[in-house]
Amino acid sequence: MLANFNFMVIFEYLPLFLSGLKSTFLISLVTLVLALITGIIACSMRISGIKTLQYPAIAYIEIMRSTPLLIQIYFLYFGLPSLGIVVPEIQTGIIALMLNSGAYIAEILRAGIKSVDQGQIEAGLSSGLNYVQRMRFIILPQALGVTVPPLLGQAIVMVKDTALLSLISVAELTRSGQTMTSERFMPAEAFLTVAFFYMCIYFCLKYLADWSQRKLIFREVY
Amino acid sequence: MIEFKGVNKWFGKLHVLNHIDLKVQKGEVLVVCGPSGSGKSTLIRCINKLEPIQKGEIIVNGMSVHDSATNLTKLRTEIGFVFQQFYLYPHMTALQNITLAPVNVKKIAKAEAEKIGREKLDRVGLAEKADAYPAQLSGGQQQRVAIARGLAMSPEIMLFDEPTSALDPEMIGEVLDVMVSLASEGITMCVVTHEMGFAKKVADRVLFMDEGKIIETGKPADFFDHPQTERAADFISKILSH
Repeated sequence: MLANFNFMVIFEYLPLFLSGLKSTFLISLVTLVLALITGIIACSMRISGIKTLQYPAIAYIEIMRSTPLLIQIYFLYFGLPSLGIVVPEIQTGIIALMLNSGAYIAEILRAGIKSVDQGQIEAGLSSGLNYVQRMRFIILPQALGVTVPPLLGQAIVMVKDTALLSLISVAELTRSGQTMTSERFMPAEAFLTVAFFYMCIYFCLKYLADWSQRKLIFREVY
Repeated sequence: MIEFKGVNKWFGKLHVLNHIDLKVQKGEVLVVCGPSGSGKSTLIRCINKLEPIQKGEIIVNGMSVHDSATNLTKLRTEIGFVFQQFYLYPHMTALQNITLAPVNVKKIAKAEAEKIGREKLDRVGLAEKADAYPAQLSGGQQQRVAIARGLAMSPEIMLFDEPTSALDPEMIGEVLDVMVSLASEGITMCVVTHEMGFAKKVADRVLFMDEGKIIETGKPADFFDHPQTERAADFISKILSH
């Protein structure tokens, strides 16, 4: 079957793929940073114990997790202009991905924080440590350990989700495949190449995840 | 030093502390015992406000514990608390566990705090374990580190919530030995425990609780040999029988 594929065309289109790869990479990087910030804020609000902060955070997280990402992208893409807010496609896409990933990240962080034994928090309390000190010295160092792998997992999901931005004509990796398909009608070659590049990003992130697990994470020493 | 005035506490419908009046003198060693669910752990957890109360007042060192105007940090630095499950911070060495609160709460210089920390580790017989992580220590050693952690704040009161109940039998002795030597130093201690040997040796008073009430108090010898109430007698015979 592969013998029927025309791989020469791919080399011809390589500059287009590489520019698509670069866009996907940059969009992912920017989105990841923004989503982390969003997630930290949403998580802080969610666990603050203050109802006026808690409820909006819960609503945000539940809405994002209960609706498809594609709907969220379309909503922002078509909805914002009708509200008079005109944002370029790429920003619209980044905002949609940021809001979506941010909600998942908020829950990952919350799970990490909840995983720390309540007894240790009481130990901190009974020695007079305040909230910030308990967070900084007792909870976060341990929560970080358990959150890094799922956070990188979420990053991998998010990178692949950027493919959906091709549907609002953002010139990223998947869009490069679509362009080649429409110009040469070679979808198999085009999307195989696209898939290959996503795999490259995936394996880089996976390597990072494994490395972080070895280096960054606190493990109990037995 | 510690005074309970008509303290009542409910967990939902469960009346877990039922009109508790109690005075603990400075330097006194009080042992609290009773069947499980009798409210004994809750009683001592109220002393440093790990638990709220619904009625009454607890006064520690002249401070009203559950008054929102009380400086809770100051109160808690005067009270050391030792948990049944130790609750050492697993990502810190023994020494770091001990110096965390002195450095951050009492604002003692790190070098000075480490010096104190090493003294306290030596005090519980674990000088050589300063750089060990909790998971590298046995249960008995972890509990001794936890005691050293409490002592490092130079508290006037030490509270122990079943400190030996989570330990393998062969490790109970090493923890009790540390507690016995503490008792002889004049530190005020409230100990929830069923260790009768410990109670007989060092307790000034034994307090027996059941269903949220103080049923009986007395000198350890009197309490264990001649309990005044049927419930206490029944309880003693049960802990003796195994």
